[in-house]
Amino acid sequence: MQKIQCVCGFGCGSSLMLRMALDDVLRKHGLEAETFTGDVGTCLSNPCDVIFISKELAERIRDRADVGIVVIDDLMDSAELEEKTLAYLGSLG
Amino acid sequence: MPELVPMKHIKAKVAAGDWQEAIRAAGVPLAESGAIDPAYIDDMIGSVEEYGPYIVLTSGFALAHAAPSDLVKRDSVSLITLKAPVDFGSTKGPVNVVMCLACTDRAFHLGGLGRIASVLMKDNMIGKLSRAESRGELYQLING
Repeated sequence: MQKIQCVCGFGCGSSLMLRMALDDVLRKHGLEAETFTGDVGTCLSNPCDVIFISKELAERIRDRADVGIVVIDDLMDSAELEEKTLAYLGSLG
Repeated sequence: MPELVPMKHIKAKVAAGDWQEAIRAAGVPLAESGAIDPAYIDDMIGSVEEYGPYIVLTSGFALAHAAPSDLVKRDSVSLITLKAPVDFGSTKGPVNVVMCLACTDRAFHLGGLGRIASVLMKDNMIGKLSRAESRGELYQLING
């Protein structure tokens, strides 16, 4: 099962908003994935398959990440999140 | 169901000249009720200085927060609207609805914040909040 880490500055706030919206998308499409939240300082040491993160914070980890990064522009735009989530999961084959 | 944001943590049409003032204005009700130490407000401002305006989650809305710490006495949330929109330096444009989130630890979000997130993600909720004329109206919208 895919392990998706949702990241914000502290792992307590916008990352949770993102995680909840992501869970909704997964439920809506009958998809299974494990989701959890992390903070930008330590997220790269948390085992996961992909990181979902806001545009502003993505730049801080992009060069060092060895897992995929999905950049979310508007954390409360469920259409954007749905499109990017399905595109990511679809790309796994 | 208990209220998500109590009336004492809600203010409508607050004057703020810049984003720092906006965060401060949203944090003051939490400090006044003893939910946070006033120093937590400085932490929230500091986090934007460090990480940038990613707290602007969507057009018009900022979720100010800092790391859980001893400065937070009670898990709590405040909600204010601004008299005039303020620029946070975000590409999503200026902000006129600011929520402050204070958590004693990372577990809070499993309960309270989860419910708040689902309310905020309802259709056009940020627009409705920004147009509210009074704190009573804000209270009704957020606590449904």
